[in-house]
Amino acid sequence: MNSLGFRNVQLRLGDRLLFAPLTLIVEPGVVASVTGPSGSGKSTLLSYACGALPAAFTGSGDILLGERRLNGMNPEDRRLGLLFQDDLLFPHLSVADNLAFGMRRSTLRRVERRQRIAESLASLGLQGFEPRDPVTLSGGERARVALLRVLLSGPSAVLLDEPFSRLDAATRAQTRAVVFEGIRRHSLPALLVTHDAEDVVAAGGPVAQLQLSQEI
Amino acid sequence: MARTVRRPVKRLALVLITVVSGVPVLAGLGMTLLKALNPAAWSVVWSTPGIWSSLILSLWTGTASTVFALFIAHLTVALAGPARWTGRLRAVILPLLALPHLAIGIGLALLLAPSGLILRLLSPWLTGFAQPPDWRIIQDPLGLSLIIGLVTKEAPFLALMLLGALAQVPSEPLMLASRTFGYGRLKSWLVSVAPALQRQIRLPIAAVFVYGATNVDMAIPLGSQTPPPLSIVLWQWYTDSGLDLQDAAYAGSILLLGATALGLISLAGAGRAGAALLRRVATSGRRAAADRTLRRAIVSLPLAVAILGGGALLALALRATSRMWRFPRVFPEHLGWNAFADSAPAAASPLAMTLAIATLVAIAAVALTLTVVELLSDNPRWTRAVGLWLFLPLVVPQLAFLFGLTWLMTRLRLEGTLLAVMWTHVLFALPYTWGILVTARAALDPRYQLAARVLGAAPLRAWWTVTAPLLTRSTLLAASLAFAVSAALYLPTLFTGAGRIVTIATEAASSAASGALHIAALYGALQAALPLLAFAVASTAGHFVYRRFGGVPR
Amino acid sequence: MVLGQATALLTALFGLGLAGAAEAADPPRPALSEWSTTEARARGTTVYFNAWGGDDSINRYIAWAAVEVGHRYGVTLVHVKVTDIAEAVSRILAEGAAGRTSGGSVDLLWLNGANFASLRRANLLYGPWADDVPNARWMDARGNPTTIVDFAMPTGGYELAWGTARLTLFYDSDAVANPPRNPQELLVWIRAHPGRFTYPRPPNFLGTSFLKQLLVLLASDRQALRRPVGSDFELITRPLWQWLDAAAPNFWRHGRLYPPSGPAQRELLATGEVDWAMAFNPAEASRAIQRGELPRTIRATTFRGGALTNSHFLAIPFNARSPDGARVIANFLSSPEAQARKADTAVWGDPTVLDVAALPAADRRRFRPVDAEGAPSATGTPIADLDASWMTALERAWLARYGVR
Repeated sequence: MNSLGFRNVQLRLGDRLLFAPLTLIVEPGVVASVTGPSGSGKSTLLSYACGALPAAFTGSGDILLGERRLNGMNPEDRRLGLLFQDDLLFPHLSVADNLAFGMRRSTLRRVERRQRIAESLASLGLQGFEPRDPVTLSGGERARVALLRVLLSGPSAVLLDEPFSRLDAATRAQTRAVVFEGIRRHSLPALLVTHDAEDVVAAGGPVAQLQLSQEI
Repeated sequence: MARTVRRPVKRLALVLITVVSGVPVLAGLGMTLLKALNPAAWSVVWSTPGIWSSLILSLWTGTASTVFALFIAHLTVALAGPARWTGRLRAVILPLLALPHLAIGIGLALLLAPSGLILRLLSPWLTGFAQPPDWRIIQDPLGLSLIIGLVTKEAPFLALMLLGALAQVPSEPLMLASRTFGYGRLKSWLVSVAPALQRQIRLPIAAVFVYGATNVDMAIPLGSQTPPPLSIVLWQWYTDSGLDLQDAAYAGSILLLGATALGLISLAGAGRAGAALLRRVATSGRRAAADRTLRRAIVSLPLAVAILGGGALLALALRATSRMWRFPRVFPEHLGWNAFADSAPAAASPLAMTLAIATLVAIAAVALTLTVVELLSDNPRWTRAVGLWLFLPLVVPQLAFLFGLTWLMTRLRLEGTLLAVMWTHVLFALPYTWGILVTARAALDPRYQLAARVLGAAPLRAWWTVTAPLLTRSTLLAASLAFAVSAALYLPTLFTGAGRIVTIATEAASSAASGALHIAALYGALQAALPLLAFAVASTAGHFVYRRFGGVPR
Repeated sequence: MVLGQATALLTALFGLGLAGAAEAADPPRPALSEWSTTEARARGTTVYFNAWGGDDSINRYIAWAAVEVGHRYGVTLVHVKVTDIAEAVSRILAEGAAGRTSGGSVDLLWLNGANFASLRRANLLYGPWADDVPNARWMDARGNPTTIVDFAMPTGGYELAWGTARLTLFYDSDAVANPPRNPQELLVWIRAHPGRFTYPRPPNFLGTSFLKQLLVLLASDRQALRRPVGSDFELITRPLWQWLDAAAPNFWRHGRLYPPSGPAQRELLATGEVDWAMAFNPAEASRAIQRGELPRTIRATTFRGGALTNSHFLAIPFNARSPDGARVIANFLSSPEAQARKADTAVWGDPTVLDVAALPAADRRRFRPVDAEGAPSATGTPIADLDASWMTALERAWLARYGVR
């Protein structure tokens, strides 16, 4: 597995520079954290990383996977898994179909795919959840399915956009543990964007603090 | 890679929708203007006796129907209150909205006339009338029957627009805030929510005014003859066998256009004055808390609209299934299938034509809208601009651009072809499909698409597997509305179809114009049934699509 | 039927392409012996027949003819129903002005009087052709000169007579004990029964014809009416306006509102809003009674002084796409078989233009005697129609006097 790197990344909203240039290397199996006040461009940084920067912003600096530059590639070609604040399970697909959506078609045959889905669900205590409508799941269950969807898509790195902020306190700790454990087990480099100090502690990796830039 | 492919495609789609929609309107308008540059035509216009009364009647009809419809729409939405009621209200309004003006007009004539259903119900036991009284209720010189007809159709339309705007305005907190200050519900609405909503629906209001002042559909069964509304005068000139009157029709439609524009400007001025007045009312300190009686009284207005609409449909159905209906009988003599079956075979071919055109138009309009909405989804400014552009056919008087457009089509040998007819139909369907699909697309969380992309789906696959399914219900709704619009269109079909494309709408209008009410009622009933059918199909289909999944937007 | 619709649909869709094809086949004027060539050329064409569509029975008759010509000659007849034939005439005039000399939108149209005159004067009619169709030889030109002189204008072979019309009044015998024998008696009745009389609103054809009927009976100089309108229009028409001024306040809706057409007024009569209606077809009332569209108390009448009589015709525009198909249809519509069916009161009841006595015996037997019920109580002597210019002049004068108040 390769590391995930940010080299001299800067974002601008119009003429305004959002934060001082960011350089950060995340090794496989490590969850790095990015914190900063709201408006500092944390979530936008992730959009930039996966190649979906909103039209109002401009960005510069390299996104690296190992030595490979990802800049200019389409989101679907970057193989970066993204976990959102909301789980964003597709509401018109069952749990199994949601998981199958991200799986590379070439990798496995149909039966094997189905088996992988069943196994991975079982590994997180979600046996028999395949036909369920996502809307009927609890917050913790949805978060776990979302994690599985990302992991099953075979990403090279994972980006997490405050994925635990909508969960209640009890579920949060548990889900956090499951997610970080999953990432480490797959030895993926991960970048967590958050403003929750507990998240940062639990992540355990390097921390980058985005500073509101004074520069114009 | 995708990005480089997308840009030309985006340009192409933009050009296509621009050309399909606004360009024919402007080209038609330009042609009408050119043809109106004819002093002889203007001297015919000015020397026509009663031309000014016709013009004033048209403007009055437009103004009065807009004000009343807006008033009733606001009251309806204000009274509906909480979200669960607005949902039900929307479900009632949508089919009402889809009913053709012409069908409602014919039905209202059969309901309100001295020999209409209402007086039959009251005669002779209450009124003592053995013969219908010689009253000029329908086609009255003040245009009241026409205004009633327009309000019956436009109040639901504006109410729907208000419901849509409600999503953009934090109405519940606003209402709560003013009610905690002790204001009554009506006054809270009036001073805190209404002004914000009003700003959002300026364009639909303009469309209602323009339609009210310039339509032919409803003026045929309900408009006065002495003086006739200007639109009817122009329509008669245009179809007159004398070329001098045809030229006068072009000039007259420019007069109508100018007068309508002036009317719009004064309406906007009146709106501003009204807002100022409202501010003064808002700061007067009066709470108007005890508005329960007033609210009860006001419920009767939307109720009256609903009763008029329903009564019109009932009268249509009765007349369509009878050969003779002598006053004061409440039910016709030979009510039954026979009278309907007699005339129905003749309706088969127009019906087939209507279904074919409306279906193709719905598909074309929805496909075009979906494409462009998607390509512009990351560009709200362009989306707004295209929306305004698409609205053009609704705020320019139909006659003013259809005259010129038909002339152009004759030149290009396009008139009388299905292509020409469907094109104009798509033109009128697009503002509706656009309105529905833009709103639905904007309500979708954009991160669904991003989620699909980062999971490895190319843009097209992401759209096809995620965005499209989530828009299915809105797409069905938009398609049924486009279908309804197409099935209702009369003038555009008559003109660009050169009279040869015969649909339910042209049959209903021509029989209504010649006063053959039995036939008009038959076609009117069919015309009313079609959009209702489309909505039933769409909502049934929508019910079955993804019905297992509670999270799919409805 | 379905095939016909499909053809019409395709023709409409690909109208552009077909227009060019029709252009190439510009037919020479055929002699009678060439008729079979005409029929052969007509096969497979689509004819847009623009005809007034305000009457259900007439529409059904045309639908019958469409099926027949489809079976017999392979011609697809599409009835374009117009509110007033002036619509089609205006379209032809516009096409003429736009220089569209082929591929026109109208192939055949039903017209007479001012509309014929206006197209003929603008030289926008195909022909002459009408004397050359096979069934033209049965025309009753001698017994019924209105078949070759249309509102004082000779047809010249540019239109083919289709039917003859006689202005007839209908009344409810429950309300009218003694039908008026002349305009003066009618005026007396109207004044005694306010709100119960009206007539179709000019420029509706029937409404204007009612004005002409009154004018003929009220005018002091009938000969002037045979000539084009002159400077003495006001003088000649004064008795008419005096009559209308005296009657109008007692018309239905005080003369401020008029029914838009004959069938519209018939509907008012059926509903009970008025006691009178009128038609150009003496059999219309009996047919409507049979069909249950009018009460059994309705009777027909004409004035003693005579009833306005004219013929109505079929013409082909200069730029018709299928003049051959149009001629084949016109020939069929003037055949003894089609004419007899048209004269049948159960179907339409429009009197024939053929000289029935001259027909072969088998064809003669097709014509049934007119049904007794609701038949005119007085057939009335025919009054030939006025010069076409009177129509427009009367319409304008009427509109100025009563149209905008």
